[in-house]
Amino acid sequence: MGSPLKPPDGNWWNQPINRRESIWLGLGAVWSMILFGWMSIWTREGDQNPIGRTYRVTEEEFREKIEAYKEAADETDDGIVPPGDEVYIAGLRYGWDGLPVVLEAGREYDLHLGAYDVQHGFSVRPEETLSKQINLQILPGYEWVVPMTFDEPGTYQVICNEFCGVGHRSMHGTFVVEEGDG
Amino acid sequence: MTWLFDNEYDDEGFRRCGVTGLDVHRSVENHAKLFGLTAVVALLFGGIFAFTVAMTRWEVIGLLPAEDFYIHLSLHAWNLLIFWMIFTEIAILYVGGPMVLGRKLPFTSLAKIGWGTMVAGAVAVNYSIITTSAPDEAPLLTSYAPLPSSPLFYAGVIVFLLGTTIAALPFFVTLWRERKRRTGSLPLVTFGAFVTSIIAVEAILGGLVTFSYALAWRLELIATIDAALYRQLYWIVGHGSQQINLVAMITVWYFLTHVVGGAEIVSEKVSRTAFILYLFFINMGAAHHLLSDPAVTTGWRIFNTSYAFYGATFASLIHAFAIPAGIEAGRRKRGKGGGLFGWLTSAPWKNPVFSSVVFSIILFGFLGGITGVLMGQLQLNMAWHNTLATVGHFHATVVLGTTVAFMGLLYFLIRTMFMRRLAFPRLAAAQPYFYAGTMSIATLMLMYVGILYGVPRRTSEVVENIPGTEFSLAAAAPLFSVFGIFALLAVLGGVLFLVIALASLIVGERIESPEDNADLLPDGGAHGTAIDAVDEDDPVHAYEMRGTFVLCLVFMATFVVAYVLNWYLLSQLWSIGA
Repeated sequence: MGSPLKPPDGNWWNQPINRRESIWLGLGAVWSMILFGWMSIWTREGDQNPIGRTYRVTEEEFREKIEAYKEAADETDDGIVPPGDEVYIAGLRYGWDGLPVVLEAGREYDLHLGAYDVQHGFSVRPEETLSKQINLQILPGYEWVVPMTFDEPGTYQVICNEFCGVGHRSMHGTFVVEEGDG
Repeated sequence: MTWLFDNEYDDEGFRRCGVTGLDVHRSVENHAKLFGLTAVVALLFGGIFAFTVAMTRWEVIGLLPAEDFYIHLSLHAWNLLIFWMIFTEIAILYVGGPMVLGRKLPFTSLAKIGWGTMVAGAVAVNYSIITTSAPDEAPLLTSYAPLPSSPLFYAGVIVFLLGTTIAALPFFVTLWRERKRRTGSLPLVTFGAFVTSIIAVEAILGGLVTFSYALAWRLELIATIDAALYRQLYWIVGHGSQQINLVAMITVWYFLTHVVGGAEIVSEKVSRTAFILYLFFINMGAAHHLLSDPAVTTGWRIFNTSYAFYGATFASLIHAFAIPAGIEAGRRKRGKGGGLFGWLTSAPWKNPVFSSVVFSIILFGFLGGITGVLMGQLQLNMAWHNTLATVGHFHATVVLGTTVAFMGLLYFLIRTMFMRRLAFPRLAAAQPYFYAGTMSIATLMLMYVGILYGVPRRTSEVVENIPGTEFSLAAAAPLFSVFGIFALLAVLGGVLFLVIALASLIVGERIESPEDNADLLPDGGAHGTAIDAVDEDDPVHAYEMRGTFVLCLVFMATFVVAYVLNWYLLSQLWSIGA
């Protein structure tokens, strides 16, 4: 053993390993398994997963879906009140079609996320607690159906966090989450 | 410029390096210098935009309007993340291959053609970014289709990647010939360089496909481009290129801790196994960028983001022990290691080569490595994705890790290949402390504002004002002030490096005899002497490694705490996903 600049001598594969290095290897292997196991278990047991159904959809088809959805919905001063549990939102340069939307706290909605033009970032946080925030990538050509249940009433602010052009910074919208019936 | 290439060689073109004991051929040395100097030019150019970008994100200053900001950000990314790194890495291949093996550089004309092609590609990319005009947008690093970039941009990247391939050929030829010349194992540094080069080939192939696809679409040879497919292809090169940086950096760690710190390899088997794990698993890390994407399945994401059950993370944990253990055991063997940490306290901390490398090891691990695993967990990624915390992560890896290590390497090259004393030696001794320290704080602030306030990356204003709404992320403003001040200081630390490096090259005192470089050697001892000889009765693996063990336990504890905290924050969110 010795220099990394010289070929190792003799049968280097069979040289013993220092006891503390062996212990560290064991710790590392166990930690690796914990990292994998926890992530895997959370997809089944946890409440926060970036998982939903995905459909191929052209930009025109997605526009038509959102138009049909908006016709069926109520328009109020606060925003769109969806007709059922389905909520449609599309990113476009530079705004969010389908926002603002009025939802009930504690009710599970299926968010249909898509884009009309380029990639966008769907970044949501309650106005009062900025550390609670989630971020999803939105792609043109794909409709992503992600279930979501807002547990607390309040205003949830949406900003775009994928660069989508020079006007990118002005792209924002809101969820208005009201006290639910239940 | 010829004065930079005028070392004295024997009739065969070789000289014996007084520091490493290597037989250095003129052809290897001069080409390594050429790539190293070019890298410094890219560092200088890209560094200018570190200043303008940071001073725009610190919205109290708000230096640039949006349209300029994205162009500056693109120039910052391409020159530092790609050109500075890759030019250095070609030099590392030449050092790790032919120089360590004591051979000539074969096909030097290919090295020159490769260099010229890389320079042409880099100039084209820079020109296309600076001249961005509608309908094109600034590409940033990713040029995410279908947001269009200039056709010249895609073409420039392709040219640069081809140039890199050509420049790497002499390295591959060297290894091929070495294999035919003799049996037995390669030195560890050569082995690390070889693994780096294989990962580079994978990245380059991915890059050629990606940018050809985008160019064909931009020139309207094909009608549409699939955003999800583009992302998947892009990250083969986008993340793969960063894995080249990682593996090259670790190779430099082994190289320099040995030469200037007296480290030895405590287990060839363990260290080489770790490199092999990288070879198989590290490129799966490209999936880290697709965790919050709609178009890849859950199983694909979990398998790939975990590098198949954390194979590459395990490899990094191995190096995290093996390298400090090498310093500890090596120094104990030299009689420099009383107590738990005597091997560290007696180390050559005033030598900027040594301090740079050690800071790189520590900061890469604690700030870059841990955050990389955190954001690479499928669910935690939702809290990190596209926030400044992500930017904090990769400034910890490629700045605090790779750039700091490469600065140490360049100090070393100035001393041992350009044969110049460092100008302003006291300033040079302090520079790694100042740069690593200030940059660490700036990096931590990026992580905090990203995770705790959800501040997005890639935007010119969001804290003081979001156009068209009352809402803003104003609560993050105090941390941004800390960021702004320390980013400024870090830029100053980068300027110091460039001033010291360039002044050393231009007016630095010439090193005439091996004694002039004796201070680089660990404890003044020479390499190639008895201390380096293998002594069967005194194997290095038998020396104590308890100091390293304690440090590694501290690292693991930090890792676990950060992991638990991140998961706690995530579990506080409302219910998301199926």
